[in-house]
Amino acid sequence: MTAPTLTDRYVDAAMRTVPEQQRTDLATELRGSIDDQIEARVAEGLDAESAERAVLTDLGDPDKLAAQYTDRPLWLIGPRYYLDWWRLLKLLLWIVLPCAAFGVALGVTLSGAQLGEVVGTTIVVLFHTTVQLCFWVTLVFVVVERSSAVSLPAMPSLRGVSGAAGLPGVATPRGVGEWTVDQLPEPRESGASRGDMITSLVFLAIGAGAVLWDRFVGLAYSASGGGWMSFLSSDLWPWWIAGLFVVMALEAVLAIVVYVVGRWTVPLAVVNGVLALAVAIAAIWLLFQGQLVNPEFWPALIPADSAPTVERIISILLGFVIAGVAVWSTIDAYLKARRAR
Amino acid sequence: MGESEILETHLQELRRGTVVLACLRLLETPGYGYGLLEELDRRGFPTDANTLYPLLRRLEKQGHLTSEWNTDEARPRKFYRTSTTGARLASALTDDFRSIVAAIDALPKED
Repeated sequence: MTAPTLTDRYVDAAMRTVPEQQRTDLATELRGSIDDQIEARVAEGLDAESAERAVLTDLGDPDKLAAQYTDRPLWLIGPRYYLDWWRLLKLLLWIVLPCAAFGVALGVTLSGAQLGEVVGTTIVVLFHTTVQLCFWVTLVFVVVERSSAVSLPAMPSLRGVSGAAGLPGVATPRGVGEWTVDQLPEPRESGASRGDMITSLVFLAIGAGAVLWDRFVGLAYSASGGGWMSFLSSDLWPWWIAGLFVVMALEAVLAIVVYVVGRWTVPLAVVNGVLALAVAIAAIWLLFQGQLVNPEFWPALIPADSAPTVERIISILLGFVIAGVAVWSTIDAYLKARRAR
Repeated sequence: MGESEILETHLQELRRGTVVLACLRLLETPGYGYGLLEELDRRGFPTDANTLYPLLRRLEKQGHLTSEWNTDEARPRKFYRTSTTGARLASALTDDFRSIVAAIDALPKED
Protein backbone atom coordinates (compact mmCIF):
# COMPACT_ATOMS: atom_id res chain seq x y z
CA MET A 1 0.00 0.00 0.00
CA THR A 2 1.38 3.36 -1.00
CA ALA A 3 1.41 6.40 1.27
CA PRO A 4 -1.66 8.63 0.84
CA THR A 5 -1.05 11.49 -1.57
CA LEU A 6 -1.89 15.11 -0.83
CA THR A 7 -5.00 14.66 -2.99
CA ASP A 8 -6.11 11.66 -0.89
CA ARG A 9 -5.70 13.71 2.23
CA TYR A 10 -7.52 16.68 0.72
CA VAL A 11 -10.53 14.61 -0.41
CA ASP A 12 -10.69 12.86 2.97
CA ALA A 13 -10.60 16.18 4.79
CA ALA A 14 -13.35 17.63 2.58
CA MET A 15 -15.61 14.59 2.96
CA ARG A 16 -15.39 14.51 6.76
CA THR A 17 -18.29 16.92 7.17
CA VAL A 18 -20.35 15.79 4.15
CA PRO A 19 -23.41 13.60 4.90
CA GLU A 20 -22.79 9.88 4.41
CA GLN A 21 -25.13 9.35 1.44
CA GLN A 22 -23.49 12.04 -0.71
CA ARG A 23 -19.96 11.11 0.20
CA THR A 24 -19.00 8.56 -2.46
CA ASP A 25 -20.53 10.57 -5.26
CA LEU A 26 -18.91 13.84 -4.17
CA ALA A 27 -15.55 12.24 -3.44
CA THR A 28 -15.33 10.60 -6.87
CA GLU A 29 -16.27 13.82 -8.63
CA LEU A 30 -13.92 15.96 -6.56
CA ARG A 31 -11.02 13.56 -7.11
CA GLY A 32 -11.72 13.44 -10.86
CA SER A 33 -11.76 17.24 -11.05
CA ILE A 34 -8.53 17.55 -9.09
CA ASP A 35 -6.85 14.97 -11.34
CA ASP A 36 -8.10 16.82 -14.44
CA GLN A 37 -6.68 20.08 -13.15
CA ILE A 38 -3.35 18.50 -12.22
CA GLU A 39 -3.11 16.94 -15.66
CA ALA A 40 -3.70 20.32 -17.29
CA ARG A 41 -0.97 21.94 -15.21
CA VAL A 42 1.47 19.13 -15.99
CA ALA A 43 0.68 19.63 -19.68
CA GLU A 44 1.64 23.29 -19.19
CA GLY A 45 5.08 22.07 -18.05
CA LEU A 46 4.87 21.89 -14.25
CA ASP A 47 6.20 18.80 -12.47
CA ALA A 48 3.56 16.54 -10.90
CA GLU A 49 4.21 17.49 -7.30
CA SER A 50 4.08 21.28 -7.76
CA ALA A 51 1.02 20.87 -9.98
CA GLU A 52 -0.79 18.95 -7.21
CA ARG A 53 0.20 21.54 -4.62
CA ALA A 54 -0.92 24.43 -6.82
CA VAL A 55 -4.31 22.86 -7.62
CA LEU A 56 -5.07 22.02 -3.99
CA THR A 57 -3.93 25.47 -2.83
CA ASP A 58 -6.32 27.06 -5.34
CA LEU A 59 -9.19 24.92 -4.08
CA GLY A 60 -8.56 26.28 -0.58
CA ASP A 61 -9.58 25.07 2.85
CA PRO A 62 -11.36 21.70 2.42
CA ASP A 63 -13.80 22.48 5.25
CA LYS A 64 -14.83 25.65 3.46
CA LEU A 65 -15.34 23.75 0.22
CA ALA A 66 -17.42 21.12 2.02
CA ALA A 67 -19.55 23.85 3.60
CA GLN A 68 -20.24 25.28 0.15
CA TYR A 69 -21.14 21.83 -1.18
CA THR A 70 -23.63 21.24 1.59
CA ASP A 71 -24.93 24.84 1.92
CA ARG A 72 -23.77 25.07 5.51
CA PRO A 73 -23.39 28.62 6.84
CA LEU A 74 -19.87 29.68 7.76
CA TRP A 75 -21.05 32.14 10.36
CA LEU A 76 -22.60 31.80 13.80
CA ILE A 77 -25.47 34.22 13.23
CA GLY A 78 -26.02 35.57 9.74
CA PRO A 79 -27.72 38.77 8.54
CA ARG A 80 -31.14 37.09 8.65
CA TYR A 81 -31.18 36.80 12.44
CA TYR A 82 -28.48 39.21 13.54
CA LEU A 83 -30.81 42.12 14.41
CA ASP A 84 -33.31 39.89 16.18
CA TRP A 85 -30.48 38.39 18.21
CA TRP A 86 -29.00 41.78 19.08
CA ARG A 87 -32.33 43.37 20.04
CA LEU A 88 -33.38 40.45 22.21
CA LEU A 89 -29.99 40.31 23.93
CA LYS A 90 -30.03 44.03 24.70
CA LEU A 91 -33.60 43.85 26.00
CA LEU A 92 -32.86 40.88 28.25
CA LEU A 93 -29.68 42.44 29.61
CA TRP A 94 -31.54 45.66 30.40
CA ILE A 95 -34.26 43.78 32.25
CA VAL A 96 -32.34 40.99 33.93
CA LEU A 97 -29.13 42.70 35.07
CA PRO A 98 -30.70 45.54 37.11
CA CYS A 99 -33.18 43.11 38.70
CA ALA A 100 -30.41 40.62 39.50
CA ALA A 101 -28.12 43.31 40.93
CA PHE A 102 -30.85 44.79 43.11
CA GLY A 103 -32.12 41.41 44.29
CA VAL A 104 -28.71 39.96 45.09
CA ALA A 105 -27.46 43.10 46.85
CA LEU A 106 -30.63 43.24 48.93
CA GLY A 107 -30.52 39.55 49.79
CA VAL A 108 -26.86 39.55 50.79
CA THR A 109 -27.33 42.69 52.87
CA LEU A 110 -30.34 41.22 54.67
CA SER A 111 -28.28 38.16 55.53
CA GLY A 112 -26.01 40.48 57.47
CA ALA A 113 -22.98 40.80 55.18
CA GLN A 114 -20.52 43.68 55.19
CA LEU A 115 -20.49 46.26 52.40
CA GLY A 116 -17.39 44.74 50.76
CA GLU A 117 -19.00 41.33 50.59
CA VAL A 118 -22.22 42.80 49.21
CA VAL A 119 -20.36 44.61 46.40
CA GLY A 120 -18.16 41.59 45.67
CA THR A 121 -21.05 39.11 45.51
CA THR A 122 -23.12 41.45 43.36
CA ILE A 123 -20.30 41.92 40.84
CA VAL A 124 -19.67 38.17 40.62
CA VAL A 125 -23.38 37.45 40.14
CA LEU A 126 -23.66 40.19 37.49
CA PHE A 127 -20.68 38.77 35.62
CA HIS A 128 -22.08 35.23 35.65
CA THR A 129 -25.55 36.42 34.68
CA THR A 130 -24.15 38.37 31.71
CA VAL A 131 -22.08 35.45 30.49
CA GLN A 132 -24.91 32.95 30.87
CA LEU A 133 -27.46 35.22 29.23
CA CYS A 134 -25.22 35.97 26.25
CA PHE A 135 -24.28 32.33 25.83
CA TRP A 136 -27.77 30.83 25.92
CA VAL A 137 -29.43 33.50 23.79
CA THR A 138 -26.66 33.17 21.20
CA LEU A 139 -26.86 29.38 21.29
CA VAL A 140 -30.59 29.46 20.53
CA PHE A 141 -29.99 31.75 17.55
CA VAL A 142 -27.11 29.61 16.28
CA VAL A 143 -29.44 26.60 16.31
CA VAL A 144 -32.22 28.57 14.61
CA GLU A 145 -29.76 29.80 11.96
CA ARG A 146 -28.81 26.20 11.18
CA SER A 147 -32.25 24.64 11.27
CA SER A 148 -34.30 27.12 9.24
CA ALA A 149 -35.50 25.62 5.98
CA VAL A 150 -34.94 28.69 3.80
CA SER A 151 -31.40 28.89 2.54
CA LEU A 152 -30.04 32.04 0.98
CA PRO A 153 -29.99 32.05 -2.82
CA ALA A 154 -26.92 30.73 -4.54
CA MET A 155 -24.33 33.47 -4.64
CA PRO A 156 -21.29 32.31 -6.58
CA SER A 157 -18.27 34.49 -6.21
CA LEU A 158 -16.07 35.07 -9.19
CA ARG A 159 -12.38 34.62 -9.47
CA GLY A 160 -10.47 37.13 -7.41
CA VAL A 161 -11.64 38.59 -4.13
CA SER A 162 -13.79 36.08 -2.32
CA GLY A 163 -16.42 36.80 0.26
CA ALA A 164 -17.57 40.18 -1.03
CA ALA A 165 -20.61 41.78 0.57
CA GLY A 166 -24.03 40.39 -0.29
CA LEU A 167 -26.27 42.05 -2.81
CA PRO A 168 -28.29 44.80 -1.18
CA GLY A 169 -31.96 44.50 -2.01
CA VAL A 170 -31.71 41.17 -3.78
CA ALA A 171 -31.02 38.67 -1.04
CA THR A 172 -32.92 40.65 1.59
CA PRO A 173 -32.50 38.73 4.81
CA ARG A 174 -35.68 37.87 6.64
CA GLY A 175 -35.57 37.35 10.34
CA VAL A 176 -38.15 36.26 12.86
CA GLY A 177 -41.24 37.84 11.35
CA GLU A 178 -41.45 40.61 8.78
CA TRP A 179 -40.55 44.16 9.75
CA THR A 180 -43.39 46.68 9.57
CA VAL A 181 -43.49 50.45 10.04
CA ASP A 182 -45.48 49.89 13.23
CA GLN A 183 -42.26 48.72 14.86
CA LEU A 184 -40.63 52.14 14.47
CA PRO A 185 -39.56 53.41 17.88
CA GLU A 186 -41.80 56.01 19.51
CA PRO A 187 -40.26 59.48 19.73
CA ARG A 188 -38.44 59.57 23.06
CA GLU A 189 -39.73 61.70 25.89
CA SER A 190 -37.52 64.73 26.37
CA GLY A 191 -38.41 64.91 30.05
CA ALA A 192 -38.70 68.68 29.71
CA SER A 193 -42.37 69.17 28.86
CA ARG A 194 -44.86 71.22 30.86
CA GLY A 195 -46.39 67.94 32.06
CA ASP A 196 -43.04 66.75 33.39
CA MET A 197 -42.56 70.01 35.28
CA ILE A 198 -46.06 69.88 36.79
CA THR A 199 -45.58 66.24 37.81
CA SER A 200 -42.29 67.08 39.54
CA LEU A 201 -43.79 70.04 41.39
CA VAL A 202 -46.89 68.09 42.47
CA PHE A 203 -44.77 65.24 43.82
CA LEU A 204 -42.49 67.66 45.68
CA ALA A 205 -45.57 69.36 47.19
CA ILE A 206 -47.03 66.01 48.23
CA GLY A 207 -43.66 65.02 49.74
CA ALA A 208 -43.40 68.25 51.71
CA GLY A 209 -47.02 67.92 52.82
CA ALA A 210 -46.42 64.35 53.99
CA VAL A 211 -43.41 65.42 56.06
CA LEU A 212 -45.41 68.22 57.69
CA TRP A 213 -48.41 65.96 58.26
CA ASP A 214 -46.12 63.37 59.82
CA ARG A 215 -44.64 66.03 62.11
CA PHE A 216 -47.86 67.60 63.31
CA VAL A 217 -50.41 64.78 63.07
CA GLY A 218 -48.61 61.47 62.46
CA LEU A 219 -48.69 58.88 59.70
CA ALA A 220 -49.60 55.76 61.67
CA TYR A 221 -52.34 55.10 64.18
CA SER A 222 -51.74 52.84 67.12
CA ALA A 223 -54.19 52.45 69.94
CA SER A 224 -51.54 51.10 72.32
CA GLY A 225 -49.07 53.81 71.32
CA GLY A 226 -51.53 56.51 72.22
CA GLY A 227 -53.11 57.51 68.93
CA TRP A 228 -51.45 59.04 65.86
CA MET A 229 -47.68 58.84 65.82
CA SER A 230 -44.87 60.17 63.62
CA PHE A 231 -42.78 57.96 61.39
CA LEU A 232 -39.81 60.32 61.26
CA SER A 233 -37.86 60.93 64.43
CA SER A 234 -38.78 64.15 66.24
CA ASP A 235 -35.04 64.94 66.63
CA LEU A 236 -34.96 65.78 62.94
CA TRP A 237 -37.05 68.85 63.62
CA PRO A 238 -36.26 71.60 62.85
CA TRP A 239 -32.81 71.56 61.23
CA TRP A 240 -32.74 68.28 59.27
CA ILE A 241 -36.28 68.87 58.05
CA ALA A 242 -35.36 72.45 57.13
CA GLY A 243 -32.42 71.10 55.14
CA LEU A 244 -34.74 68.66 53.38
CA PHE A 245 -37.09 71.52 52.47
CA VAL A 246 -34.19 73.54 51.07
CA VAL A 247 -33.17 70.62 48.83
CA MET A 248 -36.79 70.12 47.77
CA ALA A 249 -37.08 73.81 46.95
CA LEU A 250 -33.92 73.52 44.84
CA GLU A 251 -35.43 70.51 43.06
CA ALA A 252 -38.55 72.54 42.32
CA VAL A 253 -36.39 75.32 40.89
CA LEU A 254 -34.49 72.73 38.85
CA ALA A 255 -37.77 71.33 37.42
CA ILE A 256 -38.78 74.85 36.35
CA VAL A 257 -35.35 75.58 34.85
CA VAL A 258 -35.46 72.36 32.82
CA TYR A 259 -38.88 73.38 31.49
CA VAL A 260 -37.70 76.90 30.62
CA VAL A 261 -34.50 75.68 28.95
CA GLY A 262 -36.62 73.16 27.04
CA ARG A 263 -34.36 70.16 27.61
CA TRP A 264 -32.06 68.44 30.07
CA THR A 265 -28.42 69.54 29.71
CA VAL A 266 -25.38 67.92 31.27
CA PRO A 267 -24.92 70.66 33.93
CA LEU A 268 -28.61 70.37 34.89
CA ALA A 269 -28.24 66.61 35.10
CA VAL A 270 -25.21 67.08 37.36
CA VAL A 271 -27.18 69.43 39.65
CA ASN A 272 -29.97 66.85 39.74
CA GLY A 273 -27.47 64.13 40.63
CA VAL A 274 -25.91 66.22 43.41
CA LEU A 275 -29.32 66.98 44.95
CA ALA A 276 -30.42 63.33 44.74
CA LEU A 277 -27.11 62.23 46.25
CA ALA A 278 -27.34 64.78 49.09
CA VAL A 279 -30.78 63.55 50.13
CA ALA A 280 -29.85 59.87 49.76
CA ILE A 281 -26.59 60.13 51.71
CA ALA A 282 -28.15 62.12 54.51
CA ALA A 283 -31.15 59.80 54.74
CA ILE A 284 -29.09 56.60 54.68
CA TRP A 285 -26.62 57.97 57.22
CA LEU A 286 -29.43 58.98 59.58
CA LEU A 287 -31.15 55.65 58.99
CA PHE A 288 -28.18 53.60 60.08
CA GLN A 289 -27.41 55.94 62.97
CA GLY A 290 -30.92 55.14 64.12
CA GLN A 291 -31.89 58.80 63.90
CA LEU A 292 -34.20 58.78 60.91
CA VAL A 293 -37.19 56.81 62.19
CA ASN A 294 -39.08 57.59 65.36
CA PRO A 295 -37.67 55.04 67.87
CA GLU A 296 -41.15 54.38 69.24
CA PHE A 297 -42.62 53.71 65.81
CA TRP A 298 -41.89 49.98 65.30
CA PRO A 299 -42.30 48.83 68.92
CA ALA A 300 -45.75 50.43 68.92
CA LEU A 301 -46.89 48.57 65.81
CA ILE A 302 -45.17 45.20 66.16
CA PRO A 303 -44.96 42.76 69.08
CA ALA A 304 -41.86 43.61 71.12
CA ASP A 305 -40.02 40.31 70.57
CA SER A 306 -39.89 40.60 66.76
CA ALA A 307 -39.59 44.39 66.55
CA PRO A 308 -35.76 44.53 66.33
CA THR A 309 -35.65 42.02 63.44
CA VAL A 310 -38.43 43.74 61.53
CA GLU A 311 -36.82 47.08 62.15
CA ARG A 312 -33.46 45.88 60.85
CA ILE A 313 -34.95 44.36 57.69
CA ILE A 314 -37.14 47.38 56.99
CA SER A 315 -34.19 49.70 57.54
CA ILE A 316 -32.14 47.80 54.96
CA LEU A 317 -35.06 47.76 52.51
CA LEU A 318 -35.57 51.46 53.05
CA GLY A 319 -31.86 52.11 52.50
CA PHE A 320 -31.96 50.22 49.21
CA VAL A 321 -35.05 52.05 48.03
CA ILE A 322 -33.51 55.45 48.89
CA ALA A 323 -30.27 54.57 47.11
CA GLY A 324 -32.16 53.05 44.17
CA VAL A 325 -34.31 56.13 43.67
CA ALA A 326 -31.26 58.43 43.78
CA VAL A 327 -29.30 56.29 41.30
CA TRP A 328 -32.29 56.00 38.99
CA SER A 329 -32.99 59.73 39.06
CA THR A 330 -29.35 60.52 38.30
CA ILE A 331 -29.06 58.05 35.41
CA ASP A 332 -32.43 59.07 33.97
CA ALA A 333 -31.50 62.77 33.90
CA TYR A 334 -28.10 62.00 32.42
CA LEU A 335 -29.61 59.84 29.65
CA LYS A 336 -32.12 62.56 28.81
CA ALA A 337 -29.33 65.14 28.69
CA ARG A 338 -27.25 62.96 26.39
CA ARG A 339 -30.21 62.28 24.10
CA ALA A 340 -31.05 65.98 23.87
CA ARG A 341 -27.55 66.95 22.70
CA MET B 1 -8.65 48.69 0.72
CA GLY B 2 -6.81 50.02 -2.33
CA GLU B 3 -8.52 51.47 -5.39
CA SER B 4 -7.91 48.36 -7.48
CA GLU B 5 -9.34 46.15 -4.77
CA ILE B 6 -12.48 48.29 -4.59
CA LEU B 7 -12.81 48.09 -8.39
CA GLU B 8 -12.33 44.32 -8.17
CA THR B 9 -15.09 44.01 -5.58
CA HIS B 10 -17.52 46.07 -7.66
CA LEU B 11 -16.77 44.09 -10.80
CA GLN B 12 -17.32 40.92 -8.87
CA GLU B 13 -20.67 42.18 -7.62
CA LEU B 14 -21.64 43.05 -11.18
CA ARG B 15 -20.65 39.66 -12.63
CA ARG B 16 -22.17 37.63 -9.82
CA GLY B 17 -24.98 35.56 -11.27
CA THR B 18 -23.73 35.62 -14.85
CA VAL B 19 -21.86 32.39 -14.07
CA VAL B 20 -25.18 30.67 -13.33
CA LEU B 21 -26.56 31.91 -16.63
CA ALA B 22 -23.46 30.80 -18.54
CA CYS B 23 -23.50 27.33 -16.95
CA LEU B 24 -27.15 26.77 -17.75
CA ARG B 25 -26.63 27.83 -21.37
CA LEU B 26 -23.41 25.86 -21.88
CA LEU B 27 -24.78 22.69 -20.30
CA GLU B 28 -27.46 22.38 -22.98
CA THR B 29 -24.64 20.15 -24.25
CA PRO B 30 -23.67 17.80 -21.38
CA GLY B 31 -20.39 18.65 -19.68
CA TYR B 32 -18.32 17.73 -16.62
CA GLY B 33 -16.67 19.86 -13.96
CA TYR B 34 -13.23 20.59 -15.29
CA GLY B 35 -14.32 20.73 -18.95
CA LEU B 36 -16.92 23.35 -18.03
CA LEU B 37 -14.36 25.31 -16.01
CA GLU B 38 -12.14 25.57 -19.11
CA GLU B 39 -15.05 26.42 -21.36
CA LEU B 40 -16.22 29.19 -19.03
CA ASP B 41 -12.71 30.60 -18.91
CA ARG B 42 -12.40 30.55 -22.70
CA ARG B 43 -15.74 32.28 -23.16
CA GLY B 44 -14.95 35.11 -20.80
CA PHE B 45 -16.51 33.90 -17.53
CA PRO B 46 -13.43 33.21 -15.43
CA THR B 47 -14.56 31.19 -12.42
CA ASP B 48 -12.78 29.51 -9.51
CA ALA B 49 -13.00 25.74 -9.26
CA ASN B 50 -14.09 25.97 -5.63
CA THR B 51 -16.99 28.18 -6.73
CA LEU B 52 -18.08 26.18 -9.76
CA TYR B 53 -18.27 22.69 -8.23
CA PRO B 54 -20.58 23.64 -5.34
CA LEU B 55 -22.63 25.76 -7.77
CA LEU B 56 -23.23 22.75 -10.03
CA ARG B 57 -24.38 20.74 -7.02
CA ARG B 58 -26.71 23.48 -5.93
CA LEU B 59 -28.27 23.87 -9.39
CA GLU B 60 -28.70 20.10 -9.53
CA LYS B 61 -30.42 20.09 -6.15
CA GLN B 62 -32.76 22.83 -7.36
CA GLY B 63 -33.62 20.72 -10.39
CA HIS B 64 -32.05 23.03 -12.96
CA LEU B 65 -29.43 20.44 -13.90
CA THR B 66 -29.56 16.68 -14.22
CA SER B 67 -26.48 14.49 -13.90
CA GLU B 68 -25.21 11.16 -15.07
CA TRP B 69 -22.00 9.27 -14.40
CA ASN B 70 -19.91 8.36 -17.42
CA THR B 71 -17.66 5.40 -16.62
CA ASP B 72 -16.65 4.57 -20.19
CA GLU B 73 -13.28 6.22 -19.81
CA ALA B 74 -10.46 5.56 -17.37
CA ARG B 75 -11.52 8.45 -15.15
CA PRO B 76 -15.22 8.34 -14.11
CA ARG B 77 -16.87 11.72 -14.72
CA LYS B 78 -20.13 13.21 -13.65
CA PHE B 79 -21.81 14.83 -16.64
CA TYR B 80 -24.32 17.60 -16.04
CA ARG B 81 -27.06 18.68 -18.40
CA THR B 82 -29.55 21.54 -18.25
CA SER B 83 -33.06 20.32 -17.47
CA THR B 84 -36.29 21.79 -18.85
CA THR B 85 -36.72 24.00 -15.79
CA GLY B 86 -33.04 24.94 -16.08
CA ALA B 87 -33.59 26.00 -19.71
CA ARG B 88 -36.57 28.09 -18.61
CA LEU B 89 -34.46 29.72 -15.89
CA ALA B 90 -31.70 30.39 -18.43
CA SER B 91 -34.06 32.14 -20.82
CA ALA B 92 -35.58 34.19 -17.98
CA LEU B 93 -32.09 35.21 -16.85
CA THR B 94 -31.05 36.02 -20.41
CA ASP B 95 -34.14 38.20 -20.95
CA ASP B 96 -33.46 39.99 -17.70
CA PHE B 97 -29.84 40.54 -18.58
CA ARG B 98 -30.84 42.02 -21.95
CA SER B 99 -33.25 44.39 -20.27
CA ILE B 100 -30.48 45.44 -17.86
CA VAL B 101 -28.19 46.14 -20.84
CA ALA B 102 -30.97 48.18 -22.49
CA ALA B 103 -31.56 50.06 -19.24
CA ILE B 104 -27.85 50.83 -18.90
CA ASP B 105 -27.73 52.06 -22.51
CA ALA B 106 -30.66 54.34 -21.75
CA LEU B 107 -28.79 55.95 -18.84
CA PRO B 108 -27.43 59.50 -19.33
CA LYS B 109 -24.30 59.18 -21.47
CA GLU B 110 -20.86 59.73 -20.02
CA ASP B 111 -18.76 62.33 -21.86
